This record gives sequence, structure tokens and C-alpha cells, in this order.
Amino acid sequence: MINKLFVIFRKDFLTARRDAMATYIMVIPLVLAVGITLFAPGLNDTTVKLAMLKSDDIEHIEYMKQFSKVELFDNMDELERRVKKRDDIAAIAPNGNSYEIILQGNESEIVEEYAVLLNTYYELGSTKEETTAQLISFGRTVPPLKTMLVNILILMTIMLAGMLIAISIVEEKAENTINAINVTPISQTAFVVGKSLFGSTVAMLGIIGAVLITGFYDINWLMIVLVGLTSMILSLVVGFLQGLSSEDIMEAAGSVKLLFLPIAGSIAVYELVADKWQWTMYWSPFYWAYKANTMILSKTADWGTVLLYTAMVIGLSLIVYLVSLPKIRKGLS
Amino acid sequence: MKLLSNYLKEMKIAARGFYFYIEIAMAIVLLAILLLAVSETSTSNRKQFIYNDMPQKIAEYLKDRSIEKGEARLADSTEFKLKPAEFEITNQETGKTTTYDFDDEKIVELETIEMLDSSTGELDETVYYVETEADMIRLAYSESEMGVTVVMNPYGKVSNKYYLQGYETDRLKSLLYILQNESRDVVNAKKDKQVVRTIEVTETLNNRENLVPIFIAYMGSLMGFFIVMAYIFYDKAEGVIRAFAVTPSSIWKYLISKIFVILTTVVVSSSIITIPVMGGQPNYLLFYIFLIITTFAIASLGLLVASFFDSISKAFGVMYAIMISLMIPAFSYYIPSFDPLWLRFFPSYPLLQGFKEIMLNGDAGYVLTYSLVFLVGGLGLFILADIRFKKTLTV
Repeated sequence: MINKLFVIFRKDFLTARRDAMATYIMVIPLVLAVGITLFAPGLNDTTVKLAMLKSDDIEHIEYMKQFSKVELFDNMDELERRVKKRDDIAAIAPNGNSYEIILQGNESEIVEEYAVLLNTYYELGSTKEETTAQLISFGRTVPPLKTMLVNILILMTIMLAGMLIAISIVEEKAENTINAINVTPISQTAFVVGKSLFGSTVAMLGIIGAVLITGFYDINWLMIVLVGLTSMILSLVVGFLQGLSSEDIMEAAGSVKLLFLPIAGSIAVYELVADKWQWTMYWSPFYWAYKANTMILSKTADWGTVLLYTAMVIGLSLIVYLVSLPKIRKGLS
Repeated sequence: MKLLSNYLKEMKIAARGFYFYIEIAMAIVLLAILLLAVSETSTSNRKQFIYNDMPQKIAEYLKDRSIEKGEARLADSTEFKLKPAEFEITNQETGKTTTYDFDDEKIVELETIEMLDSSTGELDETVYYVETEADMIRLAYSESEMGVTVVMNPYGKVSNKYYLQGYETDRLKSLLYILQNESRDVVNAKKDKQVVRTIEVTETLNNRENLVPIFIAYMGSLMGFFIVMAYIFYDKAEGVIRAFAVTPSSIWKYLISKIFVILTTVVVSSSIITIPVMGGQPNYLLFYIFLIITTFAIASLGLLVASFFDSISKAFGVMYAIMISLMIPAFSYYIPSFDPLWLRFFPSYPLLQGFKEIMLNGDAGYVLTYSLVFLVGGLGLFILADIRFKKTLTV
């Protein structure tokens, strides 16, 4: 049995090498990881921006620079033109003996609130030197936004493996190689597991490389591999289902979007929705995988929680697998 | 005439397959998500753990005053599980490091207050009051949220100790330093005197409406890129494209008929999402002009890329890389303060902003300018794709 599994694995590896598929699954996450590494610092530092006049009091400008990104302009026309641009920026300009805050009108609430607050503290003469506050740090250096992007990248790579399985099955169907499997000593189960083994191994290597590139060296690697492999089960099952139930590449392409929905939904609910609505995504294995990965990447995970979340992922994926098993068998026949 | 018959033939084939119906079903699912799961107002997820180092009566008075003033509302108490943890904290001023090692596991029930936005009255931040400072530090660490010890000296002066994660920007830290320098009443009185001038009278999209441009751009226009490639590879596998070499029909008519099928699908699915959510607010004439032109341009890009490969699996890397890169401007769409110049060169940037302007019934000039840009670019790509396909066709 094991021998036959590796025959499928080797066959897929050779075919994929010809089509450069394996390279794609491995290289794409690595390229995206480089992108995240370059992109995340700028995205993290998105403090409110202020537009000010060059002729303004230098002390006022320097004060504001402590709390926001300041852009300087020669005159009021230029200043107002800048405020009218597409992004969110507020202007603070002299108005008689005082200052006025200038907005375009479509900025988010926080931009107005922040600009008003800063000018208030400036006019009150509040400085850092007279503070009574103390700042104490836990010493974490990776911002949550970077953790989120890397976590999304992990799930995207898992989805990629499922997509490629779907596409490779449709292509095998077109070339009639699926039917040929039935007249070889390789069982259907060995075919399914062998194909999955290839997809998951290559995707896992891509994930590990991407996590390393983004600088998460000292995380618990066993945990990340465990969650990665288990959450891949569902992606692969859905990949098989889509591949086998699609008559042609068009249908497979259309149904790939269906796999995107639970992944995007899980991330959106976890990141954006209030705690009391989190239960709405408990049915999705990707939700539990995302939650577990967040804890692992932020180094707050413990084995008890990770095993619990992994069990949820496996349990939910197995339900989907068992329900779809007759369809997979029928598709392979 | 030939073009029309090609289009009708392609539509008949599309109607026989499942793809067309999958697109319609997806649009209905997305519409249901928008109407049922996404609220019109955005909800904040920000949390803060507070330990009040002051007499209980004063702490209660301060909380009650915030609630009476409408700045906060009492919520149901919340349970948190405290797990064993070991970590270090460093005081930024003194550099002193303290190690914490908690072996026990316990559940704490915390009084919960929801802080409200002063202008909109919506949830701004959820505050949990913790009974001991050690538990507050533990929660701030395990939940990766900010913790605060509010200390009141015998003269009634309040000072805060902020427990930060460590990755906060210097600008935020500077703000935290000055926040408590003046009493809240003094700050509020001064804030009320600030003059705010708005240059334009502009509409904004609510939380639900804000998602429509994203869904239309990514599930509609940009998906055309992926689908047109799938169409071409399907026909390549079936030998349909090769057959054109021996027919009197020109290849461009075949290619444009494929784009027309995608345009039909995108127009139907985008209308399913847009009309029920946006009602009569958008400029629908501009909407359909922009939708059709951008879908044409991006599908033409798909045609050009498809002309270089034999199968979808071979084209997968390029296809996936282009699709991911087109998604990057979504960050700027959601975080308007993040708007670097390089991001504006991605075609999906004006695509998203254009749909946003249409939904707001806003800057028609911007939409028409970029419609022209996409039209010229799309025609150029289409001509290049036509040349490529002609070159690669052999009998």
C-alpha cells in the first residue's frame, strides 16, 4: 500500500515538474512572503497624516511631527488641494490667532478626532516632558497586521493546493488517465491519498519557507506543521470534489470560488466581527486553523488549545470527507 | 452578423454548462452575506484591560459619570480564562525588567463597559475592569491587548501605567505620554472650541455599501481575467482554436465572443449584488459603462497571458501572481491613510476607486477618465492577443 502511495506521489511529482506546478505551489508563497516583509512596515505605520503650511510656527510643526506624519505646503491653495485628494489627510492651518482643522468631508471619524485632539493638546501646551505616564512593554516586535498577513498567506497556500488538485484532476479526466487507474493494481484510496500527499508536501514546504522569510523563526514549528497539515485535509477533499464533479476546466474554475468563500469568511469574522458573533463561523475548519495559527505566530499558543483546535479542524473536515466519499468514489469510477 | 452568431453560439454553450449558474449562485450568496451578515455600521474590536489603583468608591463614581454622560454603557460581564504563562516586562523609562511566572489556571469574570464614540454613539472600545494588577498584566499579555493601571495619588491626580505589546509606533507612544497631562474636563472644554472646516459636501458609504465595490471589482471584473483564460484553455484542449485556422471566420471575432460571454455573466452577477444593496443611489449609466469597459480590459489581459501557454496548469503561476498583485490595492481602499504612490499604478486601484465614486454618485470625471484609460489599454491588449493567437495557430 505504502509503496503504491509513493508511486502516485512520484508520478505526480514528475508530471508537476514538467508543468512547473510544484514550483508554483512552493515559489508563490515565498514571493508573497518577500512582499509581506517589504510591505508590512508601511502598512503598520498608518498613523493619521496632517498637512501644514511651511510658513507655520516651526514649534507647531515639530510638535505635530511627534504624533503624526506631516506634509508641508507653500500656500493655502496647495494645502486644500492636498486635502481634496483621494486618501485621508487633515490639515491644520493658522486662522487668526488660533488654528483651524480643514477636512475634505469624507474622512473616517478617527481622522477628525485625532487632528482635533492633537491641536487641543498643543493649545493646552501639553508636552511629553511633563508626563506622569509610564510605558511598560512585553517586548513583542511583530505587529498583529504582519501576523494576519502571514496567516492569510498560509491559508491561501492551502487553498492553492486544493485548486491545483482540482485542476490536475480535470486535466487527468480530459486525458482519460483517471479511468486507467481502475485497471491498475492501485486502489482508489491509494490514488486519492497519493495525490493528496504530493499536494500537501509541496504546499507545506511553501508554508515553512514563507514563515521563515517573514521572520517567524522562534515559533513552535511542530504546532504550525500540525495545524497546516490538518487544515489541508478539507482543501484537498474539496479540490478532489471540484475536480471530479467538474465536467471541464470552466466548471472547476467557477467552483474554485466556492472554496474561497469559507476561507475569506473565516478570516473576516475572526478579524472584524465582535466576540459575540464569532460562533457564526464555528462550522468552518479554516476558522479554527486561522485562530490556531494566530496564537502560534504570536507565541501565545499552548498545546492543549492547539490540539483542541486541531481536533475541530480534523472533525469538521472528516464530516465533509465522509459525506463526499460516495461522490469521490463515483467520480473515480 | 458573424460576431452576433458567434456570441449567441457561445452563450448557448455557456447556458448548457454549470459555470454560468455557479456565477449567478455566487452572486446570490454574496448578496445574502451583505444583507444578512454585514451591518450598516462598523463595530470596533478594540479591547483594553484596566486595573484601578484607587479607592473603590472613586472608581465607581468615575465609571457612573461616564455612563451618565453617554460616553459609555454597561455591558454583560465577560469571562476570561487565565492560563499558565511566563514572560518579561520592561519599563521604557527606567529600563527595569520584571519577570512574571504564573503556574495556575483560573477563570475570572470581569465587569465590562463599552466606550462609545462621542459623535456617532457607536461602540469605540470595550473596557474590562480587572480586580488585581497581576491579572490585568496577565490578560494584556495573553490577549495581546493594551492594559492600563490607573493610579490616583492622595491629591486626586491621575496617572496611567500603560502595558504595551512592544510593536506600537513611536507616534502612538508619544500620544500616550501626553494623554493624561490635563484633566478630561479641561481637554473636553478646549476640544469643543476647535474650529473644523469642511471643504466639500461629500457622501460616505456605510459599512455594508463599502463592500460592494470590493465584491464587484474582485468577483466581477477581475474574475473575468481568470475565467477568460479557463475558456481559452478549454477550447485549446478541445482543438476549437486550431479549427479557426481553416475557417473563414477571423480569430478576433472568436476572442471577442468569449469576452462577451464573460461580460454578460459579470453584468448579471454584479447587478444582483449592486441593485438590492445600493438601491437608486449610484449612477447606473456610469456603473455599466465602467463595469463593461474594465471587464473588457482585464479579460483582454487574460487573453494575452493565455496566448503564451498551452494549459491552465502551465499558466497557473503567472495567473496567480497577477491575481494576487491585483488584490494589493484593497489595503488602501480599506485603510485610506495608507496610500503610497506605487500602489496607484496597479490597475485595480482606479478600478476600486472608480466603483466607489459610482456608488457615491460622486466624481464622474474620475470614472470617465479611467474608463477611457481602460478602454485604450484594453484595446491595445486585445490587439496584441489577436496578433499572438494568429501567430501561434497552425493547421
